[in-house]
Amino acid sequence: MKTIEWQYLIVSYLFLGGLSAGLYFVSALTELFRKDDDPAQEHIARIGALLAPWPVMLGCTLLVFDLGHWYRAYKLFLHFRWESPMSIGSWLLMLFIGISLLYAYGWVPRGGREHFYEKLPRRLRFLRMFNVDVAPWRRPLAIAGLPVSVGVAIYTGVLLGAVQSRPFWNTNLVAQLFLFSALSAGCAFLILVLAMRSREFEMYQFRSLYLLDVSFLTLEFFIVVPYFIHGELSVEAVRESLKLVLGGPFTVVFWVFFMGLGLVLPWAIEVREVAPLFLTHVQLLPRMRAATPTLAGASVSVVSELSAPTSAKKLHFSRGWAVAAAVLVLVGGVLVRYIFVFAGQMSAIR
Amino acid sequence: MATRTKRYALAIDAKKCIDCKACVVACRAENGVPVGKSRNWINEELHGDWPKLMAVFEPEQCHHCEDPACVRVCPTGASYQRPDGVVAINSSECVGCRYCMIACPYDARFFREDLGVVEKCDLCAHRLDRGELPACVETCPSKVRVFGDLNDPTSEIHQLLEKRQYRVKKHEAGTGPQIYYLL
Repeated sequence: MKTIEWQYLIVSYLFLGGLSAGLYFVSALTELFRKDDDPAQEHIARIGALLAPWPVMLGCTLLVFDLGHWYRAYKLFLHFRWESPMSIGSWLLMLFIGISLLYAYGWVPRGGREHFYEKLPRRLRFLRMFNVDVAPWRRPLAIAGLPVSVGVAIYTGVLLGAVQSRPFWNTNLVAQLFLFSALSAGCAFLILVLAMRSREFEMYQFRSLYLLDVSFLTLEFFIVVPYFIHGELSVEAVRESLKLVLGGPFTVVFWVFFMGLGLVLPWAIEVREVAPLFLTHVQLLPRMRAATPTLAGASVSVVSELSAPTSAKKLHFSRGWAVAAAVLVLVGGVLVRYIFVFAGQMSAIR
Repeated sequence: MATRTKRYALAIDAKKCIDCKACVVACRAENGVPVGKSRNWINEELHGDWPKLMAVFEPEQCHHCEDPACVRVCPTGASYQRPDGVVAINSSECVGCRYCMIACPYDARFFREDLGVVEKCDLCAHRLDRGELPACVETCPSKVRVFGDLNDPTSEIHQLLEKRQYRVKKHEAGTGPQIYYLL
């Protein structure tokens, strides 16, 4: 009997799991490559780390309630079956949640932590043994967690792709698509939070996030394209299944809402926002020529131009556009999972 | 698999099927299948144009694949394959994630909302263990179904498949289905 077994709880979980993985990835990457004298980079790493554990924990709760028996979820951890993506995934999720919580704890400001343990009621005083400073472990945790976060992001796609009876899913490209969609969702969520809350920084100080997101969205785009080319050159069952998004029930949501509004439009917005970083030599040329005749001098003036708050307006980087692009990316991330979960289950070998 | 001593399988002579659904009813009674769900079913296809019409009835159920996708994806090992080839479910280990339902190319599984577990045909494993035939095989009035051990050269199914041509469904799914439809 043909039924759609995995529905919105699974869609939400796939998105939230990917979002956490993306947040951790971006935070860890920033922590590993940031300069010590750049407070904005440290801020990105801190906010990413503090946000990362929660979406995946919420997602896992949703997963548990999707089971036939929520109270039997522990049975997933009495077995390890390497052939089952779900078994590997459950263990990977636990590992990831553990690492990301520890990493987040390492980013809690010292004062806040001390205050928390100070205020504990008498009966919970024993918890003070956890009042340790994990901050020196940030970098080792970032290194250890990077492959785990990539694993969590990829596995959500492998979970679907490893099913040979659903031709819509049965390609490695689904895992790659979910990976880059997850990483870009993490980036976008950080941009959103920073744009709405971190008023002490200018948006251009978060340009590394834009660059990462543009890269992830570009990669995502160039995975969707071969997904269709390869699918159309594949066996009949795959071609048949692609009709679900090429004239079938998911056509509009895929092409207009995911590809158009959730991928290409935010990509364009973000490219427009970061374009001055690459086009400065055009805009700044007259001033540079006036200031310094040498090439070395020109590059210095570009750098000072970038770090000077007065030039922020010329460099676009508006909070409004940042919020718009980030929201579109996040909506796209939900939609692509919705489309794949539902369309995949509707596809079959005839 | 070469090491199996037994390999239970089912041969179906669909031309004999009259769509009486006795097999479905027998299964329901034997295994307590709730109304609205089915461990076995009869596919109905109409061929030709009026007035020259032909109806083809083709019983189907779990194919007890040699390399079952459901067993592979099961995270707890609740879905398993017995040494005689029967693919069965250990309900007490099933968490109800329904990954197996999605992995099955034949959509042979269903979810029991009341019990929170997945169920499907297990060729009446409890009857096999008593030396009896599956309920659907025993009850079929037009002898559509032939059940037996493929590894036993004297069994009816072995001899039938030696003489008659047959096909399996969705061979390309690569799971090695063990319901043989006689041509």
